[in-house]
This record gives sequence, C-alpha cells and structure tokens, in this order.
Amino acid sequence: MTNVAERDLLATGSMTDPLISARPRDFYAAMRRDDPIHWDEKLGMYLVSRYEDIATIQQDPITFSVNKGYHTQQAKGFQQEFQEILEREGGGYFPDAIMSDPPYHTRIRKLMEKAFTAHRVKALEPRIEKVVVDLIDSVAARGEADAIHDFAVPLTVRIICEQLGLDWDMKDRIQRWSIAVTAQIGRMQDREQMLGHAREICDLQHYLIAKMKERQADPREDMISDLVHARDADGEGLSFAEAVSLVRALLIAGNETTATALGNLFYILATRPEIATLLQDSADDDRLMNRFVEELLRIEPPVRGLSRMTTKEVELGGRTLPAGAHLLLMYASANDQEDVFPQPRDFDLNRPNIGRHLSFGGGVHRCVGLALARMEIKVAAREIVKRIGNIELAIDEADIRYLPTVATQSIERLPIRFTRRG
Amino acid sequence: MVQVTFVDVNGVERQVDGGSGDQSLMELAKANGIDGIAADCGGACSCATCLVHIDPDWVERTGQPDDIEFAMLDMVADVATASSRLACQIRLTDALDGLRVVVAQQ
Repeated sequence: MTNVAERDLLATGSMTDPLISARPRDFYAAMRRDDPIHWDEKLGMYLVSRYEDIATIQQDPITFSVNKGYHTQQAKGFQQEFQEILEREGGGYFPDAIMSDPPYHTRIRKLMEKAFTAHRVKALEPRIEKVVVDLIDSVAARGEADAIHDFAVPLTVRIICEQLGLDWDMKDRIQRWSIAVTAQIGRMQDREQMLGHAREICDLQHYLIAKMKERQADPREDMISDLVHARDADGEGLSFAEAVSLVRALLIAGNETTATALGNLFYILATRPEIATLLQDSADDDRLMNRFVEELLRIEPPVRGLSRMTTKEVELGGRTLPAGAHLLLMYASANDQEDVFPQPRDFDLNRPNIGRHLSFGGGVHRCVGLALARMEIKVAAREIVKRIGNIELAIDEADIRYLPTVATQSIERLPIRFTRRG
Repeated sequence: MVQVTFVDVNGVERQVDGGSGDQSLMELAKANGIDGIAADCGGACSCATCLVHIDPDWVERTGQPDDIEFAMLDMVADVATASSRLACQIRLTDALDGLRVVVAQQ
C-alpha cells in the first residue's frame, strides 16, 4: 500500500467495517507501521497491534484488567437489557469467573488447569482419532462438502460433548449457543440480534444448570462433574454461579475457536497445495505435524482480538493511556509482525520460534485448553491428509465470508472438492 | 530437603531450598519468585515459559524430555538447546540436591 492509502485507511477504517473485518491485513500493517496503539472511533477502543506491546500487557494483568475489559465488551450497547433478560429468563446473569483478575483469577484458573495438562490430553487422543476418522469417512466418498458444517463444527461439538458429558444430539443447539455467546464480545450485533442471542443463552443456561444439578447428585467421569465437585488446596469449592459460568465457558470456548481452526486447516490445505503434499508425505512425522499446527495457528489465528481495560494511567507503545482505556489486543496483527516472524505470510514449518505466536494469548490468561486444541487440530490434519486429497475450494477465495465479530476470524462456510485417497 | 541454584534472566544467582512433598522445579522457582519463570500454563507442559538450561554436570540426573515435552522445546528452538528442559516437568527428588539451572532468555 502507498503511504497515502495507509493514512486514509487509518483515518477512516474500523474493525467494525465488514470489509476490513473480513480482510484486515492491510489495516493491521498500517497500524503496526504508523499508529501501533490505534484509536478505533467506531469501536471506542484502542487497537494494540504490535507484538511487544501485547507481550507487555500480558505480563501485567493488574494494570491491564481482563475482568473490566471483557465485561465492558460483553453485549456493549445493550448491557443492562442483556443482563436483565438473563436474570429474568435464563436462571441468572453469571459473570465469567475465568474472565477475572489475580488474585481471584489464580484460584479459578488452578481449578481448571488440572483437566487440561498435555499428558492428560494425550490420553484422549485415541478416542478423538476415532471421532475424526468416522467423520472423514462419512464424507470422503462424496467428493464435496462444506468444511465448516460437515466437518469442523460437528467434530468439535462431538469432542466437547464427550469431555463435558453432554448429549451429542444437542449438536445444532450447541452451535447456535456458541454463536450467541461469542457474539457478545464481537461488537457487531444490533439490538434485534442481541435479543435473539440472549434467548439462546437463556436456553443454554437452563440446559447447563439442569445437567449440573444431575452431576451434583450423581457425579460421573466428565468435566461437569469435575467442576461442580472441584475443591482447591483449602478445600473450598466453586459457587454455583461460578461453576455455571465455567461450564458455559468450556462449552463455548472449546467449541467455536477449535471449529474455526479446523475450518482454517481446510482453507490452508485447499489454497496451499504444496503444504497439503508435504503433510501427505509426512503424516506420521509427529514433529512436523506439531510444527504444522503452530504455523497454522500463527498464520490464521482463530481468536484475533480480546479485550483489556487499564486500571490506571500507563505508558504503552509510546502513548499515554488514561485509566479506563478499553483495549483490543490484535493477536492476528502481532503474528504478522516481520521482525518477529520474517516473511510472515510464508507458511514456514522451519521457523525457530514457531511457538511464539500469540494465538493462545499469553501470561496468566493464556488459553487453558491449548493442549487439547493442538491435539484436535493435529489429529484432524493427519487423518484428513491420509484419507482425502486434491482438496480445493469450490467457491472463489474472494467469496469467503466471515462471522461478523471483532473477536474471532471465523469462516462462515467453506465449500470444498476433494478425492478419496487409499 | 533439596537445594537448587537458579541463575535468573538477569544473571542473578540464588540458592533456594525445596519445600517438603512432591514439587516440580517450576513450582520451586515460582514459590521463590525467580525472574524469567512465568509458567503461564501452570505446569501443563503446554507453553514453554518455564524454560531452563540444565548445568552440564546435572543433565544426566535430570533426564531426557518425553515426546510431549520435546514438542514444546522444539517450538522455542530459537532459545532451547540440547540441555534445555521445562522446569515444570522436573520433579525434585533427593537425587537433585545441589542442582544448578540457568533460566532461559525469552
């Protein structure tokens, strides 16, 4: 882009503009170069676009509050009405216990961590592999599919249902719930959409509360049971409201973001055939597959922007921010920063710092489900390239649409063609 | 009681005593506020922010990473070396009394 075009983009652009939101890389690059802490007037937020500034924020969770950032973002513009609907019709308004600040956050986080260690996740791999293989086999002979609705969404919903101990026939409702919850931090819903989403969240909460009460009385081997019966080092459990918010967070966060990553996996296989060939030739090379997952997450991060709010005046990236400044951390921009990841648009499996992308965030709020997410993506990639080949887009790349949200970059539907292998 | 020497990211050397019971090298570092040990993931072997270089004299006793830990070390190959480990994956046993590690620059 020319300097003039970049200046115009910064002067008039907003992450809420559907065109910029769908294809944001020029906007990110302009910010990183000319205005790294950019005030987005329409969004009412500062967009933090450089790697080092996001890293600074992640190391100071007291000055940069997730609690204030997240809960200010939630249902913004309709907040009171949203909360009243949940109070009145959804069994209660339950603030997100994990979207909090230390020291409260530390206790909640510790209770969640035990379920998600890389070694515990490894033990789940055979079961997840079976789910993946069954799903691919069910579409492999068709030669065409929508990678999102025929594969990514059913796969992640099935896995999270197994983890949480929910009923698999809830698939469609769970997808609607996921969209409704994530839309609350997406900043692109109008009032009518908010009302529809709020009703979905009421339905979600009633369903979860009933399940949690069942597990309270009759614990099983699943994460809902783990959470309702969890005790910290002092023997203290979670309040029911905290537990509802955490089960809700696990269901949604473990679903929407991983489904987005799996959609991106198909997008990369369809648009970078040399990568697809490499994976086919190396599907059982675990090191290469691990590196592939990291580079996929770096180059197409599912979560691109999450919020913080300053709790005091602070210097950041050469700018003085007042207390109460609402920030959007643009992970997708940081992942594209040339002096951290040279030739950032190259899909390069040999990067020495391949794990330093910000797609899982960082600091005390780093994604708690990251090992499970990595494993799901790796198993999916491995089994897909073994079973189908010649994957190509069945629509023009320019016609790919994304969900309307600043928080994630999620492909809405991805029609593909392919041939069966083996 | 196990005594461990940490050289933190600022080059400052500190000797600290291990607590009683089952403890990881990462937990000992966190309990003593060793600079450069962030341990974002809380010991889940999932983030490589508790990376240390084991003193050559101790590499044999701390042992080799398993495949899950190796995958994490490989993702930070810009700073990890053949003697690097994730502190969260090292259990402090009596055999490690006197261990010396250098916290990786990240």
